[in-house]
Amino acid sequence: MTVRSPEALALDAAPVARDTLAASAILRTGAGEAFPLAIKHVIKRWRKDLPLVLDGVDLALEPGTLTWVGGRNGAGKTTLLRIAAGLIEPEQGRAEVWGVSVRENRVRYQTLVSFLPAGDRGLYARLTVRRQLEFWARISMVPRGQVRQSVADAIAAFDLGELADRRVDRMSMGQRQRLRIAMTFLPGPETVLLDEPLTSLDDEGAAVLMRAIRRLLDRDGVVLWCSPSGERLDMRFDARWIIDGGRLAPA
Amino acid sequence: MSDAITAGHAFLAVLRRDLSIFLSYRTRLVSQVLTSVFSLTLFYYVSRLVHVSGFSSPSSYFGFVVVGISMVGVMYSCFSIPELLRQELVAGTFDRLLLSPFGAVRSLMAMTLFPLLWSFILAATTLGLGCVLFGLQLHWSTVPLGVPAMALALLAFLPFGLLFAALTVLVKQGSVGTTWVIALLSIVGGLYFPVSLLPHWVQTAAKLQPFTAATSVLRHLLVGSSIGEGAGISLLKLAVFAAVLVPASTLVLAAAIRLGQRRGTIIEY
Repeated sequence: MTVRSPEALALDAAPVARDTLAASAILRTGAGEAFPLAIKHVIKRWRKDLPLVLDGVDLALEPGTLTWVGGRNGAGKTTLLRIAAGLIEPEQGRAEVWGVSVRENRVRYQTLVSFLPAGDRGLYARLTVRRQLEFWARISMVPRGQVRQSVADAIAAFDLGELADRRVDRMSMGQRQRLRIAMTFLPGPETVLLDEPLTSLDDEGAAVLMRAIRRLLDRDGVVLWCSPSGERLDMRFDARWIIDGGRLAPA
Repeated sequence: MSDAITAGHAFLAVLRRDLSIFLSYRTRLVSQVLTSVFSLTLFYYVSRLVHVSGFSSPSSYFGFVVVGISMVGVMYSCFSIPELLRQELVAGTFDRLLLSPFGAVRSLMAMTLFPLLWSFILAATTLGLGCVLFGLQLHWSTVPLGVPAMALALLAFLPFGLLFAALTVLVKQGSVGTTWVIALLSIVGGLYFPVSLLPHWVQTAAKLQPFTAATSVLRHLLVGSSIGEGAGISLLKLAVFAAVLVPASTLVLAAAIRLGQRRGTIIEY
Protein backbone atom coordinates (compact mmCIF):
# COMPACT_ATOMS: atom_id res chain seq x y z
CA MET A 1 0.00 0.00 0.00
CA THR A 2 1.55 3.28 -1.06
CA VAL A 3 1.16 6.31 1.17
CA ARG A 4 2.31 9.61 -0.30
CA SER A 5 4.39 12.03 1.60
CA PRO A 6 2.69 15.38 2.09
CA GLU A 7 5.60 17.13 0.42
CA ALA A 8 4.75 15.39 -2.80
CA LEU A 9 1.89 17.76 -3.38
CA ALA A 10 2.94 21.13 -4.63
CA LEU A 11 0.89 23.58 -6.57
CA ASP A 12 3.61 24.86 -8.76
CA ALA A 13 5.66 21.74 -9.16
CA ALA A 14 6.66 20.66 -12.61
CA PRO A 15 4.68 17.88 -14.21
CA VAL A 16 6.12 14.54 -13.27
CA ALA A 17 5.69 11.08 -14.54
CA ARG A 18 4.68 8.82 -11.74
CA ASP A 19 3.86 5.26 -11.41
CA THR A 20 0.17 5.87 -11.57
CA LEU A 21 -0.76 2.32 -10.82
CA ALA A 22 1.00 2.51 -7.47
CA ALA A 23 -1.29 5.16 -6.10
CA SER A 24 -4.51 4.54 -7.92
CA ALA A 25 -4.96 1.09 -9.24
CA ILE A 26 -7.36 -0.51 -11.60
CA LEU A 27 -8.74 -3.36 -9.57
CA ARG A 28 -7.92 -6.65 -11.10
CA THR A 29 -9.49 -8.85 -8.49
CA GLY A 30 -12.53 -8.71 -6.34
CA ALA A 31 -10.41 -9.42 -3.29
CA GLY A 32 -11.65 -8.12 0.01
CA GLU A 33 -9.06 -5.37 0.43
CA ALA A 34 -10.71 -2.09 1.47
CA PHE A 35 -9.79 1.31 0.04
CA PRO A 36 -10.80 4.87 0.83
CA LEU A 37 -12.58 4.64 -2.51
CA ALA A 38 -13.11 1.61 -4.72
CA ILE A 39 -15.16 1.59 -7.89
CA LYS A 40 -15.91 -2.01 -8.74
CA HIS A 41 -16.86 -2.95 -12.28
CA VAL A 42 -19.34 -0.12 -12.66
CA ILE A 43 -21.60 -0.16 -15.68
CA LYS A 44 -23.94 2.72 -16.44
CA ARG A 45 -26.14 3.39 -19.39
CA TRP A 46 -28.64 6.26 -19.71
CA ARG A 47 -30.87 4.64 -22.30
CA LYS A 48 -30.95 1.28 -23.95
CA ASP A 49 -30.46 2.77 -27.41
CA LEU A 50 -27.37 4.69 -26.30
CA PRO A 51 -23.88 3.29 -25.77
CA LEU A 52 -22.66 2.59 -22.25
CA VAL A 53 -21.41 5.67 -20.43
CA LEU A 54 -19.31 3.55 -18.10
CA ASP A 55 -18.36 0.12 -19.32
CA GLY A 56 -17.06 -1.90 -16.41
CA VAL A 57 -14.97 0.78 -14.70
CA ASP A 58 -12.67 -0.40 -11.91
CA LEU A 59 -10.66 1.99 -9.82
CA ALA A 60 -9.18 1.97 -6.34
CA LEU A 61 -7.60 4.91 -4.56
CA GLU A 62 -4.89 4.29 -1.97
CA PRO A 63 -4.90 6.38 1.22
CA GLY A 64 -3.31 9.79 0.93
CA THR A 65 -3.55 10.06 -2.83
CA LEU A 66 -4.81 12.63 -5.31
CA THR A 67 -6.15 11.16 -8.52
CA TRP A 68 -7.17 12.96 -11.68
CA VAL A 69 -9.69 11.63 -14.16
CA GLY A 70 -10.05 13.46 -17.44
CA GLY A 71 -11.78 12.98 -20.74
CA ARG A 72 -13.73 14.84 -23.35
CA ASN A 73 -17.15 16.36 -22.63
CA GLY A 74 -19.76 13.69 -22.10
CA ALA A 75 -17.18 10.96 -21.58
CA GLY A 76 -18.68 9.96 -18.24
CA LYS A 77 -16.51 11.74 -15.66
CA THR A 78 -19.42 13.36 -13.83
CA THR A 79 -21.43 10.15 -14.01
CA LEU A 80 -18.51 8.33 -12.39
CA LEU A 81 -18.37 10.92 -9.60
CA ARG A 82 -22.14 10.83 -9.07
CA ILE A 83 -22.03 7.07 -8.69
CA ALA A 84 -19.06 7.31 -6.35
CA ALA A 85 -20.94 9.92 -4.31
CA GLY A 86 -24.03 7.73 -4.04
CA LEU A 87 -26.19 10.18 -5.95
CA ILE A 88 -27.18 7.76 -8.71
CA GLU A 89 -26.98 4.00 -8.98
CA PRO A 90 -25.13 2.04 -11.63
CA GLU A 91 -26.73 -0.74 -13.64
CA GLN A 92 -24.05 -3.05 -12.35
CA GLY A 93 -21.11 -2.79 -9.98
CA ARG A 94 -20.73 -0.65 -6.91
CA ALA A 95 -18.74 2.04 -5.20
CA GLU A 96 -17.28 1.37 -1.77
CA VAL A 97 -15.57 3.48 0.83
CA TRP A 98 -13.52 1.37 3.18
CA GLY A 99 -15.58 -1.62 2.14
CA VAL A 100 -18.92 0.08 2.81
CA SER A 101 -21.34 0.65 -0.05
CA VAL A 102 -24.05 3.28 -0.01
CA ARG A 103 -26.70 0.59 -0.26
CA GLU A 104 -25.43 -1.25 2.82
CA ASN A 105 -25.00 1.76 5.08
CA ARG A 106 -26.07 5.06 3.58
CA VAL A 107 -25.43 7.20 6.64
CA ARG A 108 -21.93 5.81 7.18
CA TYR A 109 -21.12 6.17 3.49
CA GLN A 110 -22.32 9.76 3.31
CA THR A 111 -20.35 10.59 6.45
CA LEU A 112 -17.14 9.38 4.80
CA VAL A 113 -17.69 10.88 1.33
CA SER A 114 -18.12 14.48 0.25
CA PHE A 115 -18.88 15.61 -3.28
CA LEU A 116 -18.40 18.96 -4.96
CA PRO A 117 -20.60 18.96 -8.07
CA ALA A 118 -19.61 21.01 -11.10
CA GLY A 119 -21.18 24.41 -11.65
CA ASP A 120 -22.35 26.96 -9.14
CA ARG A 121 -25.52 25.30 -7.82
CA GLY A 122 -26.25 23.84 -4.41
CA LEU A 123 -26.38 27.05 -2.38
CA TYR A 124 -29.27 28.87 -0.72
CA ALA A 125 -29.18 32.31 -2.29
CA ARG A 126 -30.85 34.08 0.63
CA LEU A 127 -28.65 32.65 3.39
CA THR A 128 -25.41 34.15 4.60
CA VAL A 129 -22.17 32.23 4.34
CA ARG A 130 -22.19 31.49 8.06
CA ARG A 131 -25.81 30.29 8.04
CA GLN A 132 -25.09 28.14 5.00
CA LEU A 133 -22.13 26.49 6.69
CA GLU A 134 -24.03 26.00 9.95
CA PHE A 135 -26.89 24.39 8.07
CA TRP A 136 -24.54 22.13 6.18
CA ALA A 137 -22.74 21.12 9.38
CA ARG A 138 -26.05 20.21 10.98
CA ILE A 139 -27.35 18.06 8.16
CA SER A 140 -23.90 16.51 7.85
CA MET A 141 -24.61 15.36 11.41
CA VAL A 142 -21.52 17.06 12.84
CA PRO A 143 -21.91 16.52 16.61
CA ARG A 144 -23.66 19.45 18.25
CA GLY A 145 -20.68 20.52 20.34
CA GLN A 146 -18.43 20.69 17.30
CA VAL A 147 -20.65 22.63 14.92
CA ARG A 148 -19.53 26.10 15.93
CA GLN A 149 -15.85 25.17 15.81
CA SER A 150 -16.23 23.37 12.46
CA VAL A 151 -17.88 26.43 10.95
CA ALA A 152 -15.24 28.76 12.38
CA ASP A 153 -12.49 26.49 11.06
CA ALA A 154 -14.07 26.38 7.60
CA ILE A 155 -14.43 30.16 7.51
CA ALA A 156 -10.78 30.55 8.46
CA ALA A 157 -9.43 27.79 6.20
CA PHE A 158 -11.24 29.03 3.11
CA ASP A 159 -10.67 32.74 3.67
CA LEU A 160 -14.35 33.47 4.11
CA GLY A 161 -13.99 35.77 7.13
CA GLU A 162 -14.94 38.96 5.32
CA LEU A 163 -17.84 37.22 3.60
CA ALA A 164 -19.21 35.38 6.64
CA ASP A 165 -22.24 37.60 7.06
CA ARG A 166 -22.85 38.23 3.39
CA ARG A 167 -25.74 36.62 1.57
CA VAL A 168 -24.83 34.21 -1.22
CA ASP A 169 -26.78 36.10 -3.90
CA ARG A 170 -24.54 39.09 -3.22
CA MET A 171 -21.31 37.19 -3.80
CA SER A 172 -19.21 36.72 -6.94
CA MET A 173 -19.00 33.37 -8.69
CA GLY A 174 -15.50 32.75 -7.38
CA GLN A 175 -16.56 33.54 -3.82
CA ARG A 176 -19.48 31.16 -4.16
CA GLN A 177 -17.15 28.45 -5.41
CA ARG A 178 -14.94 28.95 -2.37
CA LEU A 179 -18.01 28.54 -0.16
CA ARG A 180 -19.02 25.38 -2.03
CA ILE A 181 -15.54 23.98 -1.51
CA ALA A 182 -15.66 24.94 2.18
CA MET A 183 -18.94 23.03 2.50
CA THR A 184 -17.35 20.02 0.84
CA PHE A 185 -14.49 19.84 3.33
CA LEU A 186 -16.36 21.05 6.45
CA PRO A 187 -17.70 17.71 7.72
CA GLY A 188 -14.21 16.19 7.71
CA PRO A 189 -14.73 13.54 5.03
CA GLU A 190 -12.16 10.88 4.21
CA THR A 191 -12.99 10.75 0.51
CA VAL A 192 -13.53 13.92 -1.48
CA LEU A 193 -14.89 13.95 -5.01
CA LEU A 194 -14.27 17.14 -6.95
CA ASP A 195 -15.96 17.89 -10.27
CA GLU A 196 -14.17 20.74 -12.03
CA PRO A 197 -13.29 22.42 -8.72
CA LEU A 198 -11.27 25.25 -10.24
CA THR A 199 -14.31 26.77 -11.96
CA SER A 200 -14.38 30.54 -11.30
CA LEU A 201 -11.52 30.35 -8.78
CA ASP A 202 -8.71 32.87 -8.92
CA ASP A 203 -5.14 31.87 -8.03
CA GLU A 204 -5.75 32.64 -4.37
CA GLY A 205 -8.87 30.48 -4.35
CA ALA A 206 -7.01 27.66 -6.09
CA ALA A 207 -4.26 27.87 -3.46
CA VAL A 208 -6.86 27.67 -0.68
CA LEU A 209 -8.30 24.57 -2.32
CA MET A 210 -4.89 22.96 -2.64
CA ARG A 211 -4.12 23.60 1.01
CA ALA A 212 -7.37 21.87 1.95
CA ILE A 213 -6.47 18.93 -0.26
CA ARG A 214 -3.02 18.77 1.29
CA ARG A 215 -4.50 18.63 4.80
CA LEU A 216 -6.83 15.85 3.74
CA LEU A 217 -4.04 13.82 2.16
CA ASP A 218 -1.91 14.33 5.26
CA ARG A 219 -4.48 12.42 7.26
CA ASP A 220 -4.62 9.69 4.62
CA GLY A 221 -7.80 10.89 2.95
CA VAL A 222 -8.19 10.69 -0.81
CA VAL A 223 -9.31 13.04 -3.55
CA LEU A 224 -10.75 12.09 -6.90
CA TRP A 225 -10.59 15.13 -9.17
CA CYS A 226 -12.40 15.24 -12.51
CA SER A 227 -11.99 17.86 -15.18
CA PRO A 228 -12.20 17.70 -18.95
CA SER A 229 -8.68 18.62 -19.84
CA GLY A 230 -5.35 19.29 -18.27
CA GLU A 231 -6.34 22.52 -16.55
CA ARG A 232 -3.54 23.62 -14.28
CA LEU A 233 -2.12 20.15 -14.53
CA ASP A 234 1.16 21.46 -13.28
CA MET A 235 -0.31 20.15 -10.04
CA ARG A 236 1.08 16.86 -8.98
CA PHE A 237 -1.43 14.10 -9.14
CA ASP A 238 -0.53 10.68 -7.89
CA ALA A 239 -2.42 9.12 -10.74
CA ARG A 240 -4.00 10.33 -13.94
CA TRP A 241 -6.65 8.54 -15.90
CA ILE A 242 -8.67 9.25 -19.00
CA ILE A 243 -12.19 8.00 -19.58
CA ASP A 244 -12.76 7.05 -23.17
CA GLY A 245 -15.44 4.80 -24.56
CA GLY A 246 -16.68 4.17 -21.05
CA ARG A 247 -13.35 2.75 -19.90
CA LEU A 248 -10.46 4.10 -17.87
CA ALA A 249 -6.96 4.21 -19.28
CA PRO A 250 -3.79 5.75 -17.83
CA ALA A 251 -3.31 9.30 -19.10
CA MET B 1 -29.10 8.29 21.50
CA SER B 2 -26.56 10.93 20.48
CA ASP B 3 -27.38 10.20 16.83
CA ALA B 4 -31.04 10.88 17.57
CA ILE B 5 -30.12 14.18 19.24
CA THR B 6 -27.92 15.14 16.29
CA ALA B 7 -30.78 14.25 13.92
CA GLY B 8 -33.12 16.36 16.04
CA HIS B 9 -30.76 19.30 15.65
CA ALA B 10 -30.66 18.70 11.91
CA PHE B 11 -34.48 18.90 11.88
CA LEU B 12 -34.30 22.19 13.72
CA ALA B 13 -31.58 23.43 11.35
CA VAL B 14 -33.94 22.92 8.41
CA LEU B 15 -36.64 24.82 10.29
CA ARG B 16 -34.20 27.62 11.06
CA ARG B 17 -33.04 27.74 7.44
CA ASP B 18 -36.61 28.09 6.21
CA LEU B 19 -37.35 30.78 8.77
CA SER B 20 -34.23 32.72 7.70
CA ILE B 21 -35.21 32.51 4.05
CA PHE B 22 -38.79 33.53 4.85
CA LEU B 23 -37.67 36.54 6.87
CA SER B 24 -35.24 37.60 4.14
CA TYR B 25 -38.29 38.50 2.02
CA ARG B 26 -39.49 41.39 4.15
CA THR B 27 -42.81 42.01 2.48
CA ARG B 28 -43.98 38.40 2.59
CA LEU B 29 -45.28 38.60 6.16
CA VAL B 30 -47.23 41.81 5.48
CA SER B 31 -48.60 40.42 2.23
CA GLN B 32 -49.93 37.25 3.86
CA VAL B 33 -51.57 39.14 6.74
CA LEU B 34 -53.18 41.52 4.24
CA THR B 35 -54.52 38.55 2.27
CA SER B 36 -56.17 37.29 5.46
CA VAL B 37 -57.69 40.71 6.11
CA PHE B 38 -59.11 40.90 2.57
CA SER B 39 -60.59 37.37 2.84
CA LEU B 40 -62.14 38.21 6.20
CA THR B 41 -63.60 41.44 4.84
CA LEU B 42 -65.04 39.68 1.80
CA PHE B 43 -66.72 36.94 3.80
CA TYR B 44 -67.88 39.32 6.52
CA TYR B 45 -69.98 41.17 3.95
CA VAL B 46 -71.04 37.95 2.20
CA SER B 47 -72.29 36.70 5.57
CA ARG B 48 -74.35 39.90 5.90
CA LEU B 49 -75.74 39.55 2.40
CA VAL B 50 -76.76 35.93 2.17
CA HIS B 51 -78.93 33.95 4.49
CA VAL B 52 -77.68 30.39 4.59
CA SER B 53 -80.03 27.73 5.87
CA GLY B 54 -78.67 25.97 8.92
CA PHE B 55 -77.15 29.13 10.36
CA SER B 56 -79.08 31.07 12.97
CA SER B 57 -77.48 34.40 12.16
CA PRO B 58 -75.00 36.06 9.82
CA SER B 59 -72.45 35.96 12.66
CA SER B 60 -72.70 32.20 13.02
CA TYR B 61 -71.99 31.76 9.27
CA PHE B 62 -69.11 34.24 9.57
CA GLY B 63 -67.60 32.16 12.42
CA PHE B 64 -68.06 29.03 10.32
CA VAL B 65 -66.31 30.49 7.28
CA VAL B 66 -63.43 32.12 9.22
CA VAL B 67 -62.35 28.68 10.41
CA GLY B 68 -62.69 27.48 6.82
CA ILE B 69 -60.49 30.33 5.55
CA SER B 70 -57.89 29.45 8.18
CA MET B 71 -57.93 25.83 7.03
CA VAL B 72 -57.44 26.87 3.40
CA GLY B 73 -54.13 28.43 4.46
CA VAL B 74 -53.14 25.19 6.17
CA MET B 75 -54.11 23.23 3.07
CA TYR B 76 -52.03 25.49 0.81
CA SER B 77 -49.03 25.06 3.11
CA CYS B 78 -49.42 21.33 3.02
CA PHE B 79 -49.51 21.30 -0.76
CA SER B 80 -46.62 23.78 -1.03
CA ILE B 81 -44.15 21.03 -0.11
CA PRO B 82 -43.86 19.71 -3.69
CA GLU B 83 -43.15 23.22 -4.94
CA LEU B 84 -40.51 23.69 -2.25
CA LEU B 85 -38.93 20.44 -3.36
CA ARG B 86 -39.01 21.63 -6.94
CA GLN B 87 -37.14 24.79 -5.91
CA GLU B 88 -34.51 22.61 -4.21
CA LEU B 89 -34.17 20.52 -7.37
CA VAL B 90 -33.70 23.58 -9.55
CA ALA B 91 -31.22 25.19 -7.14
CA GLY B 92 -29.21 21.98 -6.88
CA THR B 93 -29.62 21.97 -3.11
CA PHE B 94 -31.64 18.76 -3.20
CA ASP B 95 -28.49 16.90 -4.30
CA ARG B 96 -26.79 18.17 -1.16
CA LEU B 97 -29.65 17.03 1.06
CA LEU B 98 -29.63 13.66 -0.65
CA LEU B 99 -25.88 13.25 -0.16
CA SER B 100 -25.89 14.36 3.46
CA PRO B 101 -25.91 11.83 6.29
CA PHE B 102 -29.24 13.36 7.34
CA GLY B 103 -30.61 12.27 3.97
CA ALA B 104 -33.31 13.35 1.56
CA VAL B 105 -36.33 11.75 3.22
CA ARG B 106 -35.65 13.20 6.65
CA SER B 107 -34.78 16.55 5.05
CA LEU B 108 -38.10 16.59 3.22
CA MET B 109 -39.93 15.67 6.40
CA ALA B 110 -38.12 18.53 8.12
CA MET B 111 -38.98 20.87 5.25
CA THR B 112 -42.65 20.42 6.09
CA LEU B 113 -42.13 21.88 9.57
CA PHE B 114 -41.88 25.54 8.70
CA PRO B 115 -44.78 25.77 6.22
CA LEU B 116 -47.07 23.85 8.57
CA LEU B 117 -46.05 25.82 11.66
CA TRP B 118 -46.37 29.05 9.73
CA SER B 119 -49.83 28.09 8.49
CA PHE B 120 -50.75 27.34 12.10
CA ILE B 121 -49.61 30.83 13.14
CA LEU B 122 -51.38 32.40 10.17
CA ALA B 123 -54.60 30.54 11.04
CA ALA B 124 -54.38 31.87 14.60
CA THR B 125 -53.71 35.37 13.21
CA THR B 126 -56.76 35.11 10.94
CA LEU B 127 -58.93 34.13 13.88
CA GLY B 128 -57.46 36.96 15.95
CA LEU B 129 -58.10 39.49 13.18
CA GLY B 130 -61.63 38.12 12.84
CA CYS B 131 -62.18 38.85 16.53
CA VAL B 132 -60.59 42.29 16.55
CA LEU B 133 -61.82 43.65 13.21
CA PHE B 134 -65.17 41.91 12.75
CA GLY B 135 -66.33 40.91 16.22
CA LEU B 136 -65.93 37.15 15.72
CA GLN B 137 -67.08 35.34 18.87
CA LEU B 138 -64.67 32.60 19.87
CA HIS B 139 -65.67 29.78 22.19
CA TRP B 140 -62.91 30.59 24.66
CA SER B 141 -63.47 27.64 27.01
CA THR B 142 -62.49 25.16 24.27
CA VAL B 143 -60.09 27.30 22.22
CA PRO B 144 -56.98 25.85 23.98
CA LEU B 145 -58.05 22.37 22.84
CA GLY B 146 -57.83 23.65 19.30
CA VAL B 147 -54.02 23.60 19.54
CA PRO B 148 -53.58 19.80 19.97
CA ALA B 149 -56.47 19.24 17.56
CA MET B 150 -54.71 21.37 14.96
CA ALA B 151 -51.43 19.52 15.59
CA LEU B 152 -53.21 16.23 14.95
CA ALA B 153 -54.83 17.70 11.84
CA LEU B 154 -51.42 18.79 10.51
CA LEU B 155 -50.11 15.25 11.00
CA ALA B 156 -53.10 13.91 9.09
CA PHE B 157 -52.55 16.43 6.26
CA LEU B 158 -48.78 15.90 6.03
CA PRO B 159 -48.96 12.66 3.98
CA PHE B 160 -50.70 14.51 1.14
CA GLY B 161 -47.73 16.87 0.85
CA LEU B 162 -45.30 13.95 0.99
CA LEU B 163 -47.16 11.98 -1.67
CA PHE B 164 -47.16 14.96 -4.01
CA ALA B 165 -43.46 15.46 -3.21
CA ALA B 166 -42.86 11.87 -4.32
CA LEU B 167 -44.66 12.71 -7.56
CA THR B 168 -42.45 15.77 -7.98
CA VAL B 169 -39.33 13.62 -7.60
CA LEU B 170 -40.56 11.53 -10.53
CA VAL B 171 -42.16 14.07 -12.88
CA LYS B 172 -40.18 17.19 -11.85
CA GLN B 173 -43.21 19.45 -11.65
CA GLY B 174 -44.04 21.07 -8.36
CA SER B 175 -47.66 21.96 -8.81
CA VAL B 176 -48.86 19.05 -10.88
CA GLY B 177 -52.48 18.56 -9.86
CA THR B 178 -52.18 20.37 -6.53
CA THR B 179 -54.33 23.33 -7.59
CA TRP B 180 -57.16 21.01 -8.58
CA VAL B 181 -56.81 18.97 -5.42
CA ILE B 182 -56.96 22.10 -3.24
CA ALA B 183 -60.06 23.34 -5.09
CA LEU B 184 -61.72 19.94 -4.76
CA LEU B 185 -60.85 19.62 -1.08
CA SER B 186 -62.13 23.13 -0.42
CA ILE B 187 -65.51 21.99 -1.72
CA VAL B 188 -65.76 18.52 -0.22
CA GLY B 189 -64.00 19.65 2.96
CA GLY B 190 -66.81 22.08 3.65
CA LEU B 191 -64.49 25.04 4.08
CA TYR B 192 -66.87 27.71 2.77
CA PHE B 193 -70.27 26.06 3.19
CA PRO B 194 -71.65 23.05 5.03
CA VAL B 195 -71.06 19.65 3.44
CA SER B 196 -74.75 18.92 4.05
CA LEU B 197 -75.61 21.24 1.12
CA LEU B 198 -73.70 18.98 -1.29
CA PRO B 199 -75.17 15.99 -3.18
CA HIS B 200 -75.26 12.82 -1.13
CA TRP B 201 -72.44 11.04 -2.99
CA VAL B 202 -70.15 14.06 -2.47
CA GLN B 203 -70.95 13.94 1.23
CA THR B 204 -69.75 10.33 1.23
CA ALA B 205 -66.53 11.38 -0.53
CA ALA B 206 -66.08 14.11 2.07
CA LYS B 207 -65.72 11.46 4.74
CA LEU B 208 -62.83 9.76 2.94
CA GLN B 209 -60.27 12.49 3.60
CA PRO B 210 -59.14 14.19 6.80
CA PHE B 211 -59.82 17.82 5.88
CA THR B 212 -63.56 17.62 6.55
CA ALA B 213 -63.09 15.99 9.95
CA ALA B 214 -60.34 18.47 10.91
CA THR B 215 -62.41 21.49 9.90
CA SER B 216 -65.48 20.20 11.73
CA VAL B 217 -63.65 19.51 14.97
CA LEU B 218 -61.82 22.85 14.88
CA ARG B 219 -65.08 24.70 14.22
CA HIS B 220 -66.59 22.92 17.18
CA LEU B 221 -63.69 23.85 19.45
CA LEU B 222 -63.12 27.39 18.21
CA VAL B 223 -66.53 28.82 17.44
CA GLY B 224 -68.83 26.27 19.08
CA SER B 225 -70.38 24.91 15.87
CA SER B 226 -72.31 21.69 16.27
CA ILE B 227 -70.49 18.62 15.04
CA GLY B 228 -72.50 15.89 13.39
CA GLU B 229 -70.60 12.73 14.19
CA GLY B 230 -69.05 13.84 17.48
CA ALA B 231 -65.66 15.38 18.20
CA GLY B 232 -64.25 12.06 19.44
CA ILE B 233 -64.97 10.28 16.16
CA SER B 234 -63.50 13.14 14.13
CA LEU B 235 -60.35 13.11 16.24
CA LEU B 236 -60.11 9.34 15.92
CA LYS B 237 -60.41 9.66 12.14
CA LEU B 238 -57.56 12.17 12.12
CA ALA B 239 -55.42 9.89 14.29
CA VAL B 240 -56.05 6.92 11.99
CA PHE B 241 -55.24 8.99 8.89
CA ALA B 242 -51.99 10.15 10.53
CA ALA B 243 -51.01 6.72 11.86
CA VAL B 244 -51.56 4.96 8.54
CA LEU B 245 -50.64 7.60 5.98
CA VAL B 246 -47.54 9.20 7.53
CA PRO B 247 -45.47 5.96 7.41
CA ALA B 248 -47.02 4.95 4.07
CA SER B 249 -46.30 8.28 2.39
CA THR B 250 -42.76 8.28 3.81
CA LEU B 251 -42.17 4.87 2.25
CA VAL B 252 -43.59 6.05 -1.07
CA LEU B 253 -41.32 9.12 -1.00
CA ALA B 254 -38.26 6.99 -0.22
CA ALA B 255 -39.18 4.60 -3.03
CA ALA B 256 -39.59 7.51 -5.49
CA ILE B 257 -36.15 8.85 -4.57
CA ARG B 258 -34.61 5.41 -4.93
CA LEU B 259 -36.25 4.98 -8.32
CA GLY B 260 -34.88 8.35 -9.39
CA GLN B 261 -31.41 7.30 -8.27
CA ARG B 262 -31.66 4.01 -10.14
CA ARG B 263 -32.85 5.70 -13.32
CA GLY B 264 -30.41 8.56 -12.87
CA THR B 265 -33.25 11.08 -13.14
CA ILE B 266 -32.81 12.28 -9.57
CA ILE B 267 -30.34 14.88 -10.86
CA GLU B 268 -32.80 16.26 -13.42
CA TYR B 269 -35.04 19.24 -12.81
